[in-house]
Amino acid sequence: MKNLLSFIIRNSSWLIAIGLIVISFYLVFSFNSYQRSVYLTSANKATGWFYEISDKATAFIHLNKSNKLLLERNARLEEELYSLKSYLSDTQRDTLTTNAFLSDSIPASRFSFVPAEVINVSFSGPNNFITVNKGSIHGVKPDMGVVSQNGVVGVVLKTSPSFSVVIPIINPKFRLSAKLKNSNNTGSISWDGKDLITAQIGELPKHEVFQPGDTVVTSFSRIFPKDIVIGYVTGQILSKDDNFNTLNLRIATDFYSVRDILIINDAHFEEQNELENSIP
Amino acid sequence: MKAVSIFKEILLFVILVLLQVLLLNRIAVFGLAVPILYIYFLIKLPYGRNRFYVIVSGFLLGIVIDIFLNTPGMNAAATTIIATLRSMVLNLFYPKNEYEDLVPGIHTSTAAFVKFTVMMVLLHQTLLFFIEAFTLFNLTSTLIRIGSSSILTIVLILALDSLSIRREKSG
Repeated sequence: MKNLLSFIIRNSSWLIAIGLIVISFYLVFSFNSYQRSVYLTSANKATGWFYEISDKATAFIHLNKSNKLLLERNARLEEELYSLKSYLSDTQRDTLTTNAFLSDSIPASRFSFVPAEVINVSFSGPNNFITVNKGSIHGVKPDMGVVSQNGVVGVVLKTSPSFSVVIPIINPKFRLSAKLKNSNNTGSISWDGKDLITAQIGELPKHEVFQPGDTVVTSFSRIFPKDIVIGYVTGQILSKDDNFNTLNLRIATDFYSVRDILIINDAHFEEQNELENSIP
Repeated sequence: MKAVSIFKEILLFVILVLLQVLLLNRIAVFGLAVPILYIYFLIKLPYGRNRFYVIVSGFLLGIVIDIFLNTPGMNAAATTIIATLRSMVLNLFYPKNEYEDLVPGIHTSTAAFVKFTVMMVLLHQTLLFFIEAFTLFNLTSTLIRIGSSSILTIVLILALDSLSIRREKSG
């Protein structure tokens, strides 16, 4: 017993070291999966608050650019509104009967949007995440889609009351079904980890015709509405698999400068999910 | 262990963590090289600091960085291992000496400090990137990451250290 005690005392630093290393590796293997704990990520209160403050400082510098982008977007929407209005008035002028087909209220949209701001981006290595400043009290839930003005950003992974962690396209665990804009064959978006502006679309049939510059958009997915831009084809990867093509694409969202995002709330998500999961 | 030096170390700890999470981790030169400067804390601990203190502070440093960067355990594991090996690496390049409070620095013995820094950074980056890349990535891309990030980190540490000597002299 005495020997044991003296052994422990003599080697206490080694034992501590081994203990701490074991704890670290336990964290590596237990937390680096989809089931992450909110407490040890940037969605927790302390770190979230901290990032928010640092973000407010930098937000000021980017105001100009955001403003410009918003104006552009506004202009586009205005244009659309105008053309729709004029179309509507044209049809109404033509004949009175169209009024019978017009519903008296606009039907509730399936998708609603929660605007949010990026407060932290970590893209130091393969494990890239984005933290945003809206959480469960704003109605954000895991598995909601996230888009920027330019295109798809990622999917909400975890939420805390006032922050959420988003898993972006540039994370090896990210998967999303997608298609080329002018065709109906779906493939799957993934990221090979090489750089932050290129993703891959795989599992496309060999006969699929493409041109560099073709737009890649979301296909049927339970997370995103149809036809949201993901990126633009840049080239083809020689694939080992004989039946499928893999294409490189330039991601539409610029992860270096992404700030203002929209979180998509699909009103039918729960219902569809429930129905699909009820099949044994 | 004097109270003043402990206070200085805590200050260095906080500054390095802030620098790392707010600035350096958002830099990816060519999308590859990320300066990982926080290891400077372990390099600058006094020569005779007891091993227990070094290991525990190394672990704390790693876990704090992990919490901010959403990488639970990775930095903690690499940094704890480095903290454990620190005294051995130190003995490789520095002669055994009786000055317990001697802080390794570029102004005391340039060659030894450079070798010590290179060794520590290389070990740390190798551990870090291999833990990070465990299954997903190919060897060449990992090696390029390790090489480029190490060079960047070493240059930064040496630059930072030669800055601090100037301040000490004037002040």
